[in-house]
Amino acid sequence: MKASTHAGLSRAGAVPPVIEARGVEVTISGHPILKGVDLLIPGGQVVALIGPNGSGKTTLLRALLGLQSVDRGQILLFGQPLDRRVLRRVAYVPQKLAMESGFALSVREFLALASDRALHWFWKSHAALDKLLMPAVEEVQIVDLLDRPLAKLSGGQFQRVMVAFALLRNPDLLLLDEPTAGVDAPGEYTFYELIGELQRRRGLTVVLVSHDLSMVYRHATMVYALNGVICCEGKPEDVMNADSLKRAYGIHVAPYQHHHHHGHGHSHPHVE
Amino acid sequence: MGMAIRIRMLSEPYMQRALLVALCMGPLCALMGVFVTARRMAFFSDTISHGALAGVALGFWMGFSDPTVPMIVFSLMVAGVLVWLQENTELLSDTILAVVLSGSVALGIVILSSLKGYRGEIQSYLFGDILAIGWADLRLGFVLLVVVSFGLFSNLTRLTLVTAHPELAHSCGVPVRILNYVFVVALTFVVTLSIRLLGIILVTSLLVIPPAAARSLSCNLRQQICFSVLLGLVASLGGVVGSYHFDAPCGPMIVLVCLVLFVAAFLFGRLKGRVRP
Repeated sequence: MKASTHAGLSRAGAVPPVIEARGVEVTISGHPILKGVDLLIPGGQVVALIGPNGSGKTTLLRALLGLQSVDRGQILLFGQPLDRRVLRRVAYVPQKLAMESGFALSVREFLALASDRALHWFWKSHAALDKLLMPAVEEVQIVDLLDRPLAKLSGGQFQRVMVAFALLRNPDLLLLDEPTAGVDAPGEYTFYELIGELQRRRGLTVVLVSHDLSMVYRHATMVYALNGVICCEGKPEDVMNADSLKRAYGIHVAPYQHHHHHGHGHSHPHVE
Repeated sequence: MGMAIRIRMLSEPYMQRALLVALCMGPLCALMGVFVTARRMAFFSDTISHGALAGVALGFWMGFSDPTVPMIVFSLMVAGVLVWLQENTELLSDTILAVVLSGSVALGIVILSSLKGYRGEIQSYLFGDILAIGWADLRLGFVLLVVVSFGLFSNLTRLTLVTAHPELAHSCGVPVRILNYVFVVALTFVVTLSIRLLGIILVTSLLVIPPAAARSLSCNLRQQICFSVLLGLVASLGGVVGSYHFDAPCGPMIVLVCLVLFVAAFLFGRLKGRVRP
Protein backbone atom coordinates (compact mmCIF):
# COMPACT_ATOMS: atom_id res chain seq x y z
CA MET A 1 0.00 0.00 0.00
CA LYS A 2 1.19 3.46 -0.84
CA ALA A 3 0.32 6.57 1.06
CA SER A 4 -1.45 9.16 -1.07
CA THR A 5 -0.04 8.45 -4.48
CA HIS A 6 -2.04 7.84 -7.57
CA ALA A 7 0.66 6.12 -9.53
CA GLY A 8 -1.30 2.90 -9.81
CA LEU A 9 -4.59 4.49 -10.72
CA SER A 10 -3.72 7.19 -13.20
CA ARG A 11 -2.83 4.57 -15.80
CA ALA A 12 -6.55 3.75 -16.09
CA GLY A 13 -6.63 4.83 -19.76
CA ALA A 14 -8.65 7.26 -21.82
CA VAL A 15 -11.81 7.04 -19.72
CA PRO A 16 -11.63 9.88 -17.20
CA PRO A 17 -11.89 8.85 -13.57
CA VAL A 18 -15.35 9.24 -12.06
CA ILE A 19 -13.98 11.46 -9.30
CA GLU A 20 -10.81 13.47 -9.48
CA ALA A 21 -9.87 15.90 -6.72
CA ARG A 22 -6.65 17.84 -6.57
CA GLY A 23 -5.43 19.73 -3.53
CA VAL A 24 -8.90 20.36 -2.16
CA GLU A 25 -8.86 22.68 0.83
CA VAL A 26 -11.91 23.65 2.86
CA THR A 27 -11.97 25.86 5.94
CA ILE A 28 -15.17 26.11 7.97
CA SER A 29 -15.46 29.03 10.41
CA GLY A 30 -11.73 29.33 10.80
CA HIS A 31 -11.02 25.62 11.16
CA PRO A 32 -9.21 23.93 8.31
CA ILE A 33 -11.18 20.74 7.65
CA LEU A 34 -9.73 19.54 4.37
CA LYS A 35 -6.03 20.34 3.97
CA GLY A 36 -5.22 19.32 0.44
CA VAL A 37 -7.18 16.22 -0.47
CA ASP A 38 -6.26 14.29 -3.61
CA LEU A 39 -8.62 11.64 -4.90
CA LEU A 40 -8.71 9.59 -8.04
CA ILE A 41 -11.60 7.17 -8.17
CA PRO A 42 -12.10 5.01 -11.24
CA GLY A 43 -15.55 3.78 -12.27
CA GLY A 44 -17.34 0.69 -10.99
CA GLN A 45 -15.96 0.71 -7.46
CA VAL A 46 -17.56 0.66 -4.04
CA VAL A 47 -15.39 3.23 -2.31
CA ALA A 48 -15.45 3.79 1.45
CA LEU A 49 -14.27 7.01 3.05
CA ILE A 50 -13.24 6.29 6.62
CA GLY A 51 -11.69 8.42 9.31
CA PRO A 52 -12.31 9.75 12.81
CA ASN A 53 -14.96 12.33 13.72
CA GLY A 54 -14.03 15.72 12.34
CA SER A 55 -11.68 14.23 9.75
CA GLY A 56 -13.67 15.83 6.96
CA LYS A 57 -15.46 12.80 5.49
CA THR A 58 -18.83 14.46 5.28
CA THR A 59 -17.27 17.77 4.20
CA LEU A 60 -15.51 15.99 1.35
CA LEU A 61 -18.74 14.32 0.29
CA ARG A 62 -20.54 17.66 0.41
CA ALA A 63 -17.77 19.23 -1.66
CA LEU A 64 -18.18 16.48 -4.27
CA LEU A 65 -21.88 17.41 -4.46
CA GLY A 66 -21.23 21.13 -4.74
CA LEU A 67 -22.93 21.66 -1.37
CA GLN A 68 -19.69 22.88 0.17
CA SER A 69 -17.64 25.53 -1.57
CA VAL A 70 -13.97 24.74 -1.94
CA ASP A 71 -11.36 27.33 -0.91
CA ARG A 72 -8.57 25.84 -2.98
CA GLY A 73 -8.05 22.98 -5.38
CA GLN A 74 -10.25 21.43 -7.98
CA ILE A 75 -12.89 18.74 -8.21
CA LEU A 76 -13.78 17.02 -11.45
CA LEU A 77 -16.59 14.51 -11.87
CA PHE A 78 -16.47 12.41 -15.03
CA GLY A 79 -13.63 14.69 -16.13
CA GLN A 80 -15.75 17.85 -15.90
CA PRO A 81 -15.98 20.63 -13.35
CA LEU A 82 -19.03 20.57 -11.10
CA ASP A 83 -22.05 22.09 -12.78
CA ARG A 84 -25.70 21.29 -13.01
CA ARG A 85 -25.25 18.98 -15.99
CA VAL A 86 -22.61 16.85 -14.32
CA LEU A 87 -24.52 16.78 -11.05
CA ARG A 88 -27.47 15.27 -12.89
CA ARG A 89 -25.41 12.06 -13.10
CA VAL A 90 -24.88 12.04 -9.34
CA ALA A 91 -27.34 10.91 -6.69
CA TYR A 92 -27.00 11.60 -3.02
CA VAL A 93 -28.28 9.57 -0.08
CA PRO A 94 -28.23 11.88 2.96
CA GLN A 95 -27.66 10.79 6.50
CA LYS A 96 -31.00 11.58 8.01
CA LEU A 97 -34.17 13.45 7.49
CA ALA A 98 -34.71 16.78 9.21
CA MET A 99 -38.37 16.80 8.26
CA GLU A 100 -41.21 17.64 10.61
CA SER A 101 -43.76 14.91 11.21
CA GLY A 102 -46.35 17.65 10.72
CA PHE A 103 -45.63 17.38 7.00
CA ALA A 104 -47.72 14.54 5.64
CA LEU A 105 -45.53 13.73 2.61
CA SER A 106 -45.89 10.02 1.84
CA VAL A 107 -43.17 7.77 0.51
CA ARG A 108 -44.97 7.57 -2.85
CA GLU A 109 -45.14 11.35 -3.13
CA PHE A 110 -41.55 11.74 -2.05
CA LEU A 111 -40.32 9.29 -4.67
CA ALA A 112 -42.37 11.06 -7.31
CA LEU A 113 -40.26 14.16 -6.65
CA ALA A 114 -37.23 12.30 -8.02
CA SER A 115 -38.77 11.35 -11.33
CA ASP A 116 -38.90 13.93 -14.10
CA ARG A 117 -41.82 12.09 -15.60
CA ALA A 118 -43.87 12.43 -12.39
CA LEU A 119 -43.53 16.22 -12.38
CA HIS A 120 -47.23 16.85 -11.94
CA TRP A 121 -47.59 14.22 -9.23
CA PHE A 122 -50.18 16.23 -7.35
CA TRP A 123 -52.70 15.70 -10.11
CA LYS A 124 -51.83 12.07 -10.89
CA SER A 125 -53.51 8.95 -9.51
CA HIS A 126 -51.64 6.57 -7.23
CA ALA A 127 -51.77 3.89 -9.91
CA ALA A 128 -50.19 6.20 -12.49
CA LEU A 129 -47.43 7.18 -10.08
CA ASP A 130 -46.78 3.58 -9.07
CA LYS A 131 -46.24 2.67 -12.69
CA LEU A 132 -43.46 5.27 -12.95
CA LEU A 133 -41.90 4.39 -9.62
CA MET A 134 -42.22 0.63 -9.69
CA PRO A 135 -38.89 -0.60 -11.07
CA ALA A 136 -36.86 1.24 -8.43
CA VAL A 137 -39.37 0.52 -5.68
CA GLU A 138 -39.23 -3.21 -6.38
CA GLU A 139 -35.47 -3.19 -6.73
CA VAL A 140 -35.12 -1.80 -3.21
CA GLN A 141 -38.10 -3.80 -1.87
CA ILE A 142 -40.17 -1.00 -0.40
CA VAL A 143 -43.51 -1.68 -2.10
CA ASP A 144 -45.22 -1.99 1.30
CA LEU A 145 -43.93 1.42 2.40
CA LEU A 146 -45.45 3.53 -0.40
CA ASP A 147 -48.42 4.75 1.63
CA ARG A 148 -46.45 5.50 4.78
CA PRO A 149 -45.60 9.06 5.82
CA LEU A 150 -41.92 9.71 5.15
CA ALA A 151 -41.34 11.35 8.53
CA LYS A 152 -42.38 8.21 10.40
CA LEU A 153 -40.08 5.61 8.85
CA SER A 154 -37.47 3.74 10.84
CA GLY A 155 -33.78 4.35 10.07
CA GLY A 156 -33.47 1.28 7.84
CA GLN A 157 -36.70 1.93 5.96
CA PHE A 158 -35.70 5.55 5.41
CA GLN A 159 -32.35 4.54 3.93
CA ARG A 160 -34.04 2.17 1.49
CA VAL A 161 -36.45 4.90 0.43
CA MET A 162 -33.53 7.27 -0.08
CA VAL A 163 -31.75 4.70 -2.24
CA ALA A 164 -34.91 4.24 -4.33
CA PHE A 165 -35.07 8.01 -4.71
CA ALA A 166 -31.47 8.02 -5.87
CA LEU A 167 -32.06 5.19 -8.36
CA LEU A 168 -35.05 6.99 -9.88
CA ARG A 169 -32.62 9.68 -11.00
CA ASN A 170 -30.62 7.06 -12.95
CA PRO A 171 -27.25 8.08 -11.57
CA ASP A 172 -23.78 6.96 -12.62
CA LEU A 173 -22.36 7.93 -9.24
CA LEU A 174 -24.02 7.28 -5.91
CA LEU A 175 -22.81 9.15 -2.82
CA LEU A 176 -23.95 7.93 0.60
CA ASP A 177 -23.34 9.76 3.86
CA GLU A 178 -23.21 7.39 6.86
CA PRO A 179 -25.96 5.32 5.29
CA THR A 180 -26.42 2.96 8.21
CA ALA A 181 -26.28 5.36 11.15
CA GLY A 182 -29.14 4.33 13.40
CA VAL A 183 -29.74 1.00 11.64
CA ASP A 184 -29.41 -2.28 13.54
CA ALA A 185 -26.75 -4.83 12.62
CA PRO A 186 -28.86 -7.19 10.45
CA GLY A 187 -30.42 -4.20 8.72
CA GLU A 188 -26.96 -2.84 8.08
CA TYR A 189 -25.78 -6.09 6.58
CA THR A 190 -28.71 -6.34 4.17
CA PHE A 191 -28.35 -2.68 3.29
CA TYR A 192 -24.73 -3.10 2.21
CA GLU A 193 -25.67 -6.30 0.34
CA LEU A 194 -28.26 -4.23 -1.51
CA ILE A 195 -25.74 -1.51 -2.36
CA GLY A 196 -23.26 -4.10 -3.65
CA GLU A 197 -25.95 -5.73 -5.76
CA LEU A 198 -27.11 -2.41 -7.23
CA GLN A 199 -23.51 -1.50 -7.98
CA ARG A 200 -22.98 -4.73 -9.92
CA ARG A 201 -26.32 -4.67 -11.71
CA ARG A 202 -26.23 -1.03 -12.74
CA GLY A 203 -22.47 -0.59 -13.07
CA LEU A 204 -22.57 2.33 -10.65
CA THR A 205 -19.72 3.91 -8.83
CA VAL A 206 -20.54 4.09 -5.14
CA VAL A 207 -18.81 6.33 -2.60
CA LEU A 208 -19.87 5.96 1.00
CA VAL A 209 -18.83 7.56 4.24
CA SER A 210 -18.80 5.08 7.06
CA HIS A 211 -17.85 4.63 10.66
CA ASP A 212 -18.26 0.90 10.67
CA LEU A 213 -14.93 -0.59 9.71
CA SER A 214 -16.06 -4.20 9.68
CA MET A 215 -18.78 -3.40 7.14
CA VAL A 216 -16.31 -1.41 5.07
CA TYR A 217 -13.92 -4.31 5.18
CA ARG A 218 -16.52 -6.68 3.90
CA HIS A 219 -18.25 -4.60 1.25
CA ALA A 220 -15.90 -1.93 -0.11
CA THR A 221 -13.57 -2.52 -3.05
CA MET A 222 -11.48 0.57 -2.24
CA VAL A 223 -10.87 2.40 0.99
CA TYR A 224 -9.65 5.95 1.57
CA ALA A 225 -8.64 6.85 5.12
CA LEU A 226 -9.08 10.55 5.68
CA ASN A 227 -7.77 12.85 8.34
CA GLY A 228 -7.69 16.31 6.80
CA VAL A 229 -5.70 14.71 4.00
CA ILE A 230 -5.90 11.23 2.53
CA CYS A 231 -3.66 9.23 4.87
CA CYS A 232 -3.84 5.97 3.03
CA GLU A 233 -5.72 4.40 0.19
CA GLY A 234 -6.05 1.05 -1.47
CA LYS A 235 -7.86 -2.24 -1.14
CA PRO A 236 -9.51 -2.89 2.20
CA GLU A 237 -7.10 -5.67 3.12
CA ASP A 238 -4.17 -3.31 2.47
CA VAL A 239 -5.49 -0.21 4.20
CA MET A 240 -7.24 -1.76 7.13
CA ASN A 241 -4.39 -2.81 9.31
CA ALA A 242 -3.51 -1.37 12.66
CA ASP A 243 -0.48 0.45 11.34
CA SER A 244 -2.08 2.55 8.64
CA LEU A 245 -5.25 3.12 10.62
CA LYS A 246 -3.18 4.60 13.39
CA ARG A 247 -2.05 7.18 10.87
CA ALA A 248 -5.68 8.10 10.12
CA TYR A 249 -7.19 7.86 13.55
CA GLY A 250 -4.13 8.98 15.48
CA ILE A 251 -4.78 6.41 18.21
CA HIS A 252 -4.00 2.77 18.62
CA VAL A 253 -6.57 0.72 16.76
CA ALA A 254 -6.72 -2.83 18.01
CA PRO A 255 -7.13 -5.55 15.40
CA TYR A 256 -9.67 -8.15 16.39
CA GLN A 257 -10.79 -11.51 15.08
CA HIS A 258 -13.93 -11.14 13.08
CA HIS A 259 -15.90 -14.26 12.23
CA HIS A 260 -17.13 -14.22 8.68
CA HIS A 261 -19.95 -16.31 7.36
CA HIS A 262 -17.50 -18.18 5.22
CA GLY A 263 -15.74 -19.74 8.15
CA HIS A 264 -12.21 -18.47 8.61
CA GLY A 265 -11.52 -15.56 10.85
CA HIS A 266 -9.90 -12.46 9.41
CA SER A 267 -7.77 -10.24 11.49
CA HIS A 268 -8.94 -6.71 10.91
CA PRO A 269 -9.15 -3.62 12.96
CA HIS A 270 -11.79 -2.18 15.16
CA VAL A 271 -11.95 1.32 16.53
CA GLU A 272 -13.22 1.79 20.05
CA MET B 1 -79.57 31.82 11.00
CA GLY B 2 -82.77 33.26 9.58
CA MET B 3 -83.18 33.97 5.88
CA ALA B 4 -83.77 37.66 6.54
CA ILE B 5 -80.57 38.05 8.53
CA ARG B 6 -78.61 36.19 5.90
CA ILE B 7 -79.92 38.47 3.14
CA ARG B 8 -79.29 41.58 5.20
CA MET B 9 -75.73 40.42 5.90
CA LEU B 10 -75.01 39.77 2.24
CA SER B 11 -76.52 43.08 1.13
CA GLU B 12 -74.08 45.09 3.23
CA PRO B 13 -71.25 46.17 0.91
CA TYR B 14 -68.65 45.90 3.67
CA MET B 15 -69.77 42.33 4.37
CA GLN B 16 -69.52 41.47 0.68
CA ARG B 17 -65.96 42.79 0.66
CA ALA B 18 -65.06 41.03 3.89
CA LEU B 19 -66.47 37.70 2.73
CA LEU B 20 -64.69 37.95 -0.61
CA VAL B 21 -61.38 38.82 1.07
CA ALA B 22 -61.89 35.88 3.44
CA LEU B 23 -62.59 33.72 0.39
CA CYS B 24 -59.20 34.71 -1.04
CA MET B 25 -56.97 34.90 2.03
CA GLY B 26 -58.31 31.97 4.08
CA PRO B 27 -57.44 29.25 1.57
CA LEU B 28 -54.24 31.03 0.54
CA CYS B 29 -52.91 31.28 4.12
CA ALA B 30 -53.84 27.66 4.75
CA LEU B 31 -52.10 26.56 1.55
CA MET B 32 -48.88 28.42 2.34
CA GLY B 33 -49.19 27.29 5.94
CA VAL B 34 -48.60 23.65 4.98
CA PHE B 35 -45.07 24.62 3.97
CA VAL B 36 -44.62 27.31 6.63
CA THR B 37 -45.28 24.83 9.44
CA ALA B 38 -43.22 22.04 7.87
CA ARG B 39 -40.29 24.44 7.47
CA ARG B 40 -40.69 25.69 11.06
CA MET B 41 -41.37 29.22 9.86
CA ALA B 42 -44.41 29.98 12.03
CA PHE B 43 -42.42 32.33 14.28
CA PHE B 44 -40.80 33.83 11.19
CA SER B 45 -44.20 34.81 9.80
CA ASP B 46 -45.23 36.10 13.22
CA THR B 47 -42.21 38.38 13.19
CA ILE B 48 -43.10 39.64 9.73
CA SER B 49 -46.65 40.44 10.83
CA HIS B 50 -45.45 42.27 13.93
CA GLY B 51 -43.03 44.17 11.74
CA ALA B 52 -46.11 45.44 9.93
CA LEU B 53 -47.10 47.38 13.07
CA ALA B 54 -44.02 49.57 12.69
CA GLY B 55 -44.85 49.86 8.98
CA VAL B 56 -48.39 51.03 9.77
CA ALA B 57 -47.06 53.52 12.33
CA LEU B 58 -44.48 54.88 9.92
CA GLY B 59 -47.17 55.14 7.26
CA PHE B 60 -49.42 57.28 9.48
CA TRP B 61 -46.45 59.32 10.63
CA MET B 62 -45.49 60.05 7.02
CA GLY B 63 -49.06 61.10 6.32
CA PHE B 64 -50.45 58.13 4.38
CA SER B 65 -54.20 57.82 4.89
CA ASP B 66 -54.05 54.14 3.90
CA PRO B 67 -50.78 52.66 5.21
CA THR B 68 -50.96 49.44 3.13
CA VAL B 69 -47.94 50.35 0.98
CA PRO B 70 -45.62 51.35 3.84
CA MET B 71 -46.81 48.30 5.77
CA ILE B 72 -45.84 45.94 2.92
CA VAL B 73 -42.54 47.74 2.32
CA PHE B 74 -41.56 47.66 5.98
CA SER B 75 -42.52 44.00 6.36
CA LEU B 76 -40.41 43.15 3.30
CA MET B 77 -37.52 45.00 4.93
CA VAL B 78 -38.03 43.04 8.15
CA ALA B 79 -38.06 39.78 6.15
CA GLY B 80 -34.85 40.85 4.39
CA VAL B 81 -33.15 41.63 7.70
CA LEU B 82 -34.23 38.25 9.12
CA VAL B 83 -32.92 36.31 6.15
CA TRP B 84 -29.67 38.28 6.10
CA LEU B 85 -29.07 37.69 9.82
CA GLN B 86 -29.87 33.99 9.48
CA GLU B 87 -27.46 33.59 6.60
CA ASN B 88 -24.62 35.80 7.80
CA THR B 89 -24.45 35.44 11.57
CA GLU B 90 -24.17 32.53 13.94
CA LEU B 91 -27.05 33.77 16.07
CA LEU B 92 -29.75 31.23 16.79
CA SER B 93 -32.77 31.56 14.57
CA ASP B 94 -35.29 32.20 17.34
CA THR B 95 -32.97 34.72 18.99
CA ILE B 96 -32.92 36.69 15.73
CA LEU B 97 -36.71 36.48 15.45
CA ALA B 98 -37.26 37.61 19.04
CA VAL B 99 -34.90 40.58 18.64
CA VAL B 100 -36.49 41.77 15.40
CA LEU B 101 -40.06 41.13 16.61
CA SER B 102 -39.74 43.05 19.84
CA GLY B 103 -37.72 45.76 18.13
CA SER B 104 -40.29 46.45 15.44
CA VAL B 105 -43.23 46.33 17.88
CA ALA B 106 -41.44 48.79 20.15
CA LEU B 107 -40.71 51.10 17.23
CA GLY B 108 -44.33 50.91 16.09
CA ILE B 109 -45.76 51.70 19.52
CA VAL B 110 -43.37 54.58 20.19
CA ILE B 111 -44.29 56.20 16.87
CA LEU B 112 -48.02 55.60 17.30
CA SER B 113 -48.10 56.98 20.83
CA SER B 114 -46.54 60.19 19.57
CA LEU B 115 -49.39 60.57 17.07
CA LYS B 116 -52.84 61.72 18.21
CA GLY B 117 -56.13 60.09 17.30
CA TYR B 118 -55.05 56.71 15.96
CA ARG B 119 -56.25 54.56 18.85
CA GLY B 120 -59.14 53.04 16.91
CA GLU B 121 -56.94 52.39 13.91
CA ILE B 122 -54.43 50.53 16.05
CA GLN B 123 -57.17 48.34 17.47
CA SER B 124 -58.30 47.45 13.96
CA TYR B 125 -54.77 46.57 12.83
CA LEU B 126 -54.07 44.53 15.93
CA PHE B 127 -57.22 42.41 15.88
CA GLY B 128 -58.59 42.67 12.36
CA ASP B 129 -61.62 44.69 11.31
CA ILE B 130 -64.10 43.79 8.62
CA LEU B 131 -65.31 47.38 8.41
CA ALA B 132 -61.85 48.51 7.39
CA ILE B 133 -61.61 46.21 4.38
CA GLY B 134 -61.76 48.20 1.16
CA TRP B 135 -62.10 47.30 -2.52
CA ALA B 136 -58.35 47.81 -2.90
CA ASP B 137 -57.73 45.08 -0.30
CA LEU B 138 -60.02 42.78 -2.22
CA ARG B 139 -58.27 43.46 -5.52
CA LEU B 140 -54.85 42.84 -3.95
CA GLY B 141 -56.09 39.71 -2.20
CA PHE B 142 -57.47 38.29 -5.43
CA VAL B 143 -54.29 39.02 -7.39
CA LEU B 144 -52.24 37.46 -4.60
CA LEU B 145 -54.44 34.35 -4.52
CA VAL B 146 -54.01 33.83 -8.27
CA VAL B 147 -50.28 34.61 -8.42
CA VAL B 148 -49.16 32.78 -5.28
CA SER B 149 -51.23 29.65 -5.78
CA PHE B 150 -50.17 29.44 -9.42
CA GLY B 151 -46.53 29.92 -8.43
CA LEU B 152 -46.80 27.40 -5.65
CA PHE B 153 -48.46 24.68 -7.69
CA SER B 154 -46.12 25.13 -10.64
CA ASN B 155 -43.14 24.79 -8.27
CA LEU B 156 -44.73 22.17 -6.04
CA THR B 157 -42.11 19.51 -6.72
CA ARG B 158 -39.22 21.85 -5.95
CA LEU B 159 -40.86 23.37 -2.90
CA THR B 160 -41.75 19.96 -1.49
CA LEU B 161 -38.22 18.72 -2.04
CA VAL B 162 -36.72 21.77 -0.31
CA THR B 163 -39.15 21.30 2.57
CA ALA B 164 -38.32 17.61 2.91
CA HIS B 165 -34.54 17.98 2.61
CA PRO B 166 -32.80 21.17 1.44
CA GLU B 167 -29.49 19.48 0.68
CA LEU B 168 -31.12 16.67 -1.23
CA ALA B 169 -33.04 19.32 -3.17
CA HIS B 170 -29.79 21.09 -3.95
CA SER B 171 -28.24 17.86 -5.18
CA CYS B 172 -31.24 17.45 -7.48
CA GLY B 173 -30.53 20.81 -9.10
CA VAL B 174 -33.18 22.84 -7.27
CA PRO B 175 -32.07 26.49 -6.86
CA VAL B 176 -32.66 26.30 -3.10
CA ARG B 177 -31.61 29.83 -2.23
CA ILE B 178 -33.65 31.60 -4.87
CA LEU B 179 -36.66 29.44 -4.02
CA ASN B 180 -36.30 30.41 -0.35
CA TYR B 181 -36.17 34.10 -1.19
CA VAL B 182 -39.23 33.88 -3.41
CA PHE B 183 -41.07 31.92 -0.73
CA VAL B 184 -40.25 34.56 1.90
CA VAL B 185 -41.43 37.39 -0.35
CA ALA B 186 -44.68 35.56 -1.14
CA LEU B 187 -45.17 34.81 2.55
CA THR B 188 -44.63 38.47 3.45
CA PHE B 189 -47.31 39.59 0.98
CA VAL B 190 -49.75 36.94 2.18
CA VAL B 191 -49.17 37.80 5.84
CA THR B 192 -49.41 41.58 5.46
CA LEU B 193 -52.53 41.42 3.31
CA SER B 194 -54.20 39.11 5.80
CA ILE B 195 -53.72 41.65 8.58
CA ARG B 196 -56.91 43.54 7.67
CA LEU B 197 -58.85 40.35 8.26
CA LEU B 198 -57.01 38.76 11.16
CA GLY B 199 -54.99 41.47 12.81
CA ILE B 200 -51.26 41.60 13.42
CA ILE B 201 -51.42 39.49 16.56
CA LEU B 202 -53.45 36.61 15.14
CA VAL B 203 -52.45 36.39 11.49
CA THR B 204 -50.12 33.45 12.08
CA SER B 205 -53.01 31.34 13.36
CA LEU B 206 -54.45 30.96 9.88
CA LEU B 207 -51.03 29.80 8.64
CA VAL B 208 -50.61 27.25 11.42
CA ILE B 209 -53.95 25.88 12.61
CA PRO B 210 -55.51 24.67 9.33
CA PRO B 211 -52.42 22.68 8.22
CA ALA B 212 -52.06 21.22 11.72
CA ALA B 213 -55.72 20.21 11.76
CA ALA B 214 -55.41 18.82 8.23
CA ARG B 215 -52.46 16.71 9.33
CA SER B 216 -54.71 14.75 11.70
CA LEU B 217 -57.01 13.90 8.82
CA SER B 218 -54.53 13.03 6.09
CA CYS B 219 -52.21 10.21 5.08
CA ASN B 220 -50.32 12.13 2.44
CA LEU B 221 -49.36 15.62 1.33
CA ARG B 222 -52.06 15.89 -1.31
CA GLN B 223 -54.74 15.26 1.31
CA GLN B 224 -53.07 17.62 3.74
CA ILE B 225 -53.03 20.43 1.18
CA CYS B 226 -56.66 19.86 0.20
CA PHE B 227 -57.96 19.60 3.77
CA SER B 228 -55.90 22.57 4.88
CA VAL B 229 -57.29 24.78 2.09
CA LEU B 230 -60.82 23.63 2.89
CA LEU B 231 -60.44 24.24 6.61
CA GLY B 232 -58.85 27.66 5.96
CA LEU B 233 -61.83 28.57 3.78
CA VAL B 234 -64.40 27.43 6.34
CA ALA B 235 -62.60 29.16 9.21
CA SER B 236 -62.18 32.50 7.46
CA LEU B 237 -65.74 32.65 6.13
CA GLY B 238 -67.11 31.37 9.45
CA GLY B 239 -65.09 33.94 11.34
CA VAL B 240 -66.33 36.83 9.21
CA VAL B 241 -69.94 35.73 9.64
CA GLY B 242 -69.37 35.26 13.37
CA SER B 243 -67.82 38.71 13.60
CA TYR B 244 -70.98 40.18 12.01
CA HIS B 245 -73.32 38.33 14.33
CA PHE B 246 -71.52 38.82 17.60
CA ASP B 247 -70.17 42.26 16.75
CA ALA B 248 -66.73 40.99 17.70
CA PRO B 249 -63.35 41.64 16.06
CA CYS B 250 -62.87 39.48 13.01
CA GLY B 251 -59.43 37.99 13.82
CA PRO B 252 -60.35 36.37 17.12
CA MET B 253 -63.56 34.97 15.59
CA ILE B 254 -61.58 33.30 12.76
CA VAL B 255 -59.12 31.87 15.28
CA LEU B 256 -61.96 30.47 17.41
CA VAL B 257 -63.51 28.76 14.38
CA CYS B 258 -60.02 27.43 13.50
CA LEU B 259 -59.67 26.03 17.00
CA VAL B 260 -63.03 24.29 16.91
CA LEU B 261 -62.05 22.71 13.59
CA PHE B 262 -58.65 21.77 14.99
CA VAL B 263 -60.11 20.01 18.02
CA ALA B 264 -62.69 18.23 15.86
CA ALA B 265 -59.99 17.10 13.40
CA PHE B 266 -57.73 15.99 16.23
CA LEU B 267 -60.47 13.90 17.85
CA PHE B 268 -61.51 12.47 14.51
CA GLY B 269 -57.90 11.57 13.69
CA ARG B 270 -57.49 9.90 17.07
CA LEU B 271 -60.71 7.95 16.64
CA LYS B 272 -59.72 6.80 13.18
CA GLY B 273 -56.31 5.78 14.50
CA ARG B 274 -57.92 3.69 17.26
CA VAL B 275 -60.25 1.86 14.94
CA ARG B 276 -57.52 1.12 12.39
CA PRO B 277 -54.28 0.76 14.29
